[in-house]
Order: sequence, then C-alpha cells, then structure tokens
Amino acid sequence: MINIVSCFKWVIDEAYVRATSSGQIDLESVDYKISDYDRNAIEEAVIIKEKYGGDVTAVTVGSPEASKSIKNALSRGPDRAYFINDTSFADLEPSQTAAILADVIGAQIKYDLIICGEGSSDLYARQIGPRLAHKLGIPCICFVQKLEIKDNQIIAERRVEAGIEIITVPMPALVTVLSDINSPRVPGLKDTLAASKKPVVNIGKQDLSGNYDPKLETRETRAASLKRSCVKFGSEAQDVSGFVQALLKAGAIR
Amino acid sequence: MDFRLNEEQELIRSNMREFALKYVEPIAAEIDENARYPKEVIEKLADGGWMGMPFPTEYGGQGTDYLTYAIAVEELSRSCAATGFTMSVHTSLASMPINNYGNEEQKKKYLTPLAKGEHIGAFALTEPGAGTDVGAATTTALLDGDEYILNGTKTFCSNGPVADTFVTFAWTDKSAGPKGLSSFIIPKGTPGLTVGNHFMKMGIRASQTSEVVFKNCRVPKANLLGAEGSGMKIAMNCLDHGRIGIAAQAAGILQAALDESVSYSKQRIQFGKPISKNQAVQWWLVDMATDLNACRFMTYHAGWTKDQGQPFTKEASMAKLFCSEAVMKHTIKAVQIHGGYGYMKGVKVERLMRDAKITEIYEGSSEAQRMTIAGSILR
Ligand SMILES: Cc1cc2nc3c(=O)[nH]c(=O)nc-3n(C[C@H](O)[C@H](O)[C@H](O)COP(=O)(O)OP(=O)(O)OC[C@H]3O[C@@H](n4cnc5c(N)ncnc54)[C@H](O)[C@@H]3O)c2cc1C
Repeated sequence: MINIVSCFKWVIDEAYVRATSSGQIDLESVDYKISDYDRNAIEEAVIIKEKYGGDVTAVTVGSPEASKSIKNALSRGPDRAYFINDTSFADLEPSQTAAILADVIGAQIKYDLIICGEGSSDLYARQIGPRLAHKLGIPCICFVQKLEIKDNQIIAERRVEAGIEIITVPMPALVTVLSDINSPRVPGLKDTLAASKKPVVNIGKQDLSGNYDPKLETRETRAASLKRSCVKFGSEAQDVSGFVQALLKAGAIR
Repeated sequence: MDFRLNEEQELIRSNMREFALKYVEPIAAEIDENARYPKEVIEKLADGGWMGMPFPTEYGGQGTDYLTYAIAVEELSRSCAATGFTMSVHTSLASMPINNYGNEEQKKKYLTPLAKGEHIGAFALTEPGAGTDVGAATTTALLDGDEYILNGTKTFCSNGPVADTFVTFAWTDKSAGPKGLSSFIIPKGTPGLTVGNHFMKMGIRASQTSEVVFKNCRVPKANLLGAEGSGMKIAMNCLDHGRIGIAAQAAGILQAALDESVSYSKQRIQFGKPISKNQAVQWWLVDMATDLNACRFMTYHAGWTKDQGQPFTKEASMAKLFCSEAVMKHTIKAVQIHGGYGYMKGVKVERLMRDAKITEIYEGSSEAQRMTIAGSILR
C-alpha cells in the first residue's frame, strides 16, 4: 500500500492567449486546464496505485477560482483532493507554492511517493519538485520518464543529456515526470460522476502558519512578438556571399 | 432564473471534448469517406459510461439528467456528427422506450446491456410508404398463441446493421386507428428478421442505415413493449426525446462550423489583409455565433423542461426545428467563407455542410415539426 501524492497546477490554457495590437497579453476570454505535465503526474500516480496497490491524494495551491480544477483532477483517478486556496494565492512564485505545499503535505498527508510534473505549462520554472523535496528533506529525482517500485525502493529512469540514468532511492521520495512517461487517460462519464463523491479537504490561509513572502517583483508582462522578414537572393555563386553577409548582419550566425 | 450549467455539467462537457479530440476528431474524415462504423470509438464510449447516460444505475445507466446528456451529444457531434448520432439514436430512440415503457423483466434483459453499451440499439419505425405519415405503415403483428408474427419492411433504420436490439412498430389491430399500433422489442438473430446492407448517404456517412425486413418473424408475447395499442404513443415519446438529441447534434455541428470559419477567416489573406477584416465576412460570423447561442438555449431549455417532469413536446420540436435550420444555413456560409477550399474533400466544413442537411429531415422533417408546433399553439 503506497501513499502517493500528486501535485498539480490549474493554469491558463495557452491556446486561448492572445496578444493585443499594442503588445499586451489579452486574457479576456481564456480557459483553464490542468497543466500538461501535471496530467502525467496524476496519471503516473494512478498507474502506480493500480499496479502496486495504494492511495492517491491530489494537491493544488491556487486562488478560490481554481475550485473547478478539483473535480477535474479527481475525474482522472485520485482518491481525494486537498485544495489549498486563498485570493492571495493567485500567481504565486515557485518558492511560495513549494513552501505552502511542504507545510500542508508535511503536516497533514501521509506520503511514500510524491509526483510532480517537470514544470508547469505557464511558467515552466521547474522549481516546485526540487524545492518541495528539499523542504520535506526527502530525495528528489527529476526528468523521470519511467518509474517502478521494488522492495520499497523507487527505481526511476531519468532522461539526461548524455543518455539515460537509472536511479534507485528508498521511499519516501519525490519525482518529477516528463510527458513521455505515460499517456494520460481521458476520463469517462463514470469517472466524472464519481469525482463528485470523493472527499475534498479545503485549506485556507488562516489554516497555515508559515510566512510566504514573495522574492520576486513582476514589473511588466508583455506579449512576445515575432518579426518576420523576407529577403530574396539570387542563385549564382556570387550571391552566396551576399546571403552570408545578410545572415551575419541579422545576427543569425557569427 | 439561472443560466449557468453546474460544475459537474461543465466538467462532463470538457471531458467529452477531451474524448472527442483524442479519439474522434482524428478519424472523423476517414470514417466519413469510407462510411465506416467506428466500432472502436463506440466501445470506448461504452467503457466510459457514455452509452447509457440518462438511465438509472440499477439498469446499467449513469443516472444523469437529460440536459447533461444533450451536452455530451453536442460536444461529440462537434467532432463527428455521425458518431454523435449513433450515440443519440441508441440512447433516445432505442433504449429510452424500454426505460419508459418496459416492464421489470424487459429492463433487466434489454435495457441493462443497452445502457452499458454492451448492446447497440436501433429504432425501426419508418417504412418505404410511411415516413412523415406514420399511420400509413403496413407492418403487422398477428397474435398466434403465445407469439406475435411480424410481417413488413422498415427502412432508413439507423444503427440497423450493427444493432443487437431493435424497437419496432406494427399493427396489432389495423381497424382501431392509431390505437391499433403496437411496439415490440426484437433481438438480433430472431428468425424472420433480416437486416439489409447499409445505405450510402450524403452525410453522417459513418452512421449505419439499412432496411429491416420482418418475414413471418415470431417473437414471444413477452417482447410486446407497453400495452397492445400503445405503439403510437411510445413512438411519439421516443421522438420527443430524440429531437432534443438532434437539436444538440445540430448545435455541435454549428459550433464546429463557427470554429473553422473564425480560424480560417483570420488566416486567409486576400487584398493584403485577412478576409475576417471585411464586414461582410464578420456579419456572417456574427449571425452564426448568435444563432449558435440561441440553439444552445433552446436545446438546454427543452432538456431542462423534460428534467423538470413537465411536458416538453413543443420545446423539443422548436429546438429541433430551429437548430437544424440554423445549422444548414450557416454551414453553407461556412463553406462560402472557405471559398474553393471549402468545396474540397478533407476540409472539415465540406463534411459539416453535408452532415447538417440530415438534421432537417430525420426524427421528423422541419415540416413535421411545424405541424407539431402548429398543433400546440392552435389548440
Ligand atoms: C439518414 C437517415 C436516418 C434515419 N434514421 C431513422 C431511424 O433510425 N428510424 C426510423 O424509423 N426512421 C429513420 N429515418 C427516417 C426519417 O425519419 C424519415 O426519412 C423522415 O421522417 C421523413 O420521411 P420520408 O423520408 O418518408 O419523407 P416524406 O414523409 O415522404 O416527406 C417528403 C417531404 O414532404 C414533406 N411532407 C410530408 N408530409 C407533409 C405535410 N403533411 N405537410 C407538409 N410537408 C409534408 C416532408 O417534410 C418532406 O419534405 C432516417 C432517415 C434518414 C435519411
């Protein structure tokens, strides 16, 4: 019986983000979703539960508007959810989110294995996993593309630049997963209806004692813009140097 | 008044959308081209519990309300109208009458596997000589001891070629007028039942449609659905339910037409700017979006009225009439927005326009809906 915790974030679906003509980000008509890699994290937790026996708790930190994410996450298979929410918990920094998660998970949730997505679809700072593991004082394995449990040990396959690294650690431990690890199932109607009946623990700011001050200051957010230009060159030998000169000038080569 | 769907309905919509995008959208053009029944998708729908949404859990259903079911049909039809229709015929025309009029034994034996999606259902009412005029049917059912003997030909039976269970209609007493029509449950494989090959169609080509012939087809008395003589009432009740499904199907096709048209008109450059910058094109899009809004409200309202236990015949007819005519009108415009590309195979709006047309014909043509509505407002 493995106690598994999977952390997830409710993020803006980037497909809906528009740039205004003045270069601002238009979030007027955006929709939200569970961050992509976090779906893999939830799926992996459920797969491990199905394979080895266990219990899955899904945890998220966010603003009260993220309440929609709870049933959504539960329809993907976890047994219960912790919803840590406050109006001041919108747009938290990774250090804040990790500190809040550590306080709640450390004090209230039994865990042998914590699974996080490698990074969120919005910020992709890739800090939650390592920071959370550090605060809980447990081993952390990142870039995991395959996971197995044997004799109370986690065997994780990490994708690293030079190849594949296989690591064994005792539980409890935390892993962050890549999208290759699995293909998240699509919840059926049965799963969706069952989600409404699963227990949800609500935790507000007043239930937390820590101090979660931000460390960063956001000055401005602007839409990225892509400038295209189209220059035509001839196909004679002497045109090649003109082409090279143009690339040098544009900074495309050095 | 509260116009919001609840959180569960929203999630059901988004999970059905996820399903459709993953399993249906990628094959929709192919199953249309080959007129292929997407068995693998229907099995996945069954696994997920989508094939018996509004039926009690004790009979293998999921116990949702009818409005929620309509939302699922809409969202599935947005990716593939034929798949949405397969689910809708199975649910509202074939399983619903057994749920509403079947006895305990019939519900256990027939509704349960249908609601679980282990069996597929079909509804055989239309005959070559009896379409809008249901009363012109000629199929008969003669009582012979403990059995009825059915003789007659049904046509345009959706899901016919793949069905395990047929709900059909035949005269047990032709002299009794409308009160002489009765309804029967006929399992596949009953001697005397032949199912024809599936017809090639203009649209919803992946939905399987065929003739169903009864030739001295004997069924036990136990297969009579409801009382003898209640066939007309059962047929009309099925169609009331079905029409909400067709309205939802039309709304789904219309949403797809709008999605395609918005995205194409923003990309297509003519005269140095996207065609969406032309007011003429904008107004087409606006009319499309406005009617889509109306379609949704009418469909959900009809579903909601049913869920309240109120009579909903008029609401269902109005929703079906409005949605089907709106989707036809606007899918023609969607092709227009795509210009020559919209006329090409493989471009989604080409399929949408062909699929849209059937919504004005089956489960009562637009004219039949107008007759129903006229009947209720001139009462
Ligand atoms: C793809 C497809 C799937 C179908 N699936 C099923 C199914 O699963 N089960 C089933 O039982 N049936 C099914 N049908 C049959 C469908 O419901 C009928 O086609 C429909 O009811 C119209 O009947 P008809 O085709 O005989 O047309 P007709 O009744 O001959 O009508 C022809 C035209 O005359 C008009 N008209 C008829 N009477 C009047 C009137 N009094 N006033 C004004 N106008 C009138 C009609 O509106 C129509 O425009 C299906 C049909 C198709 C094409």
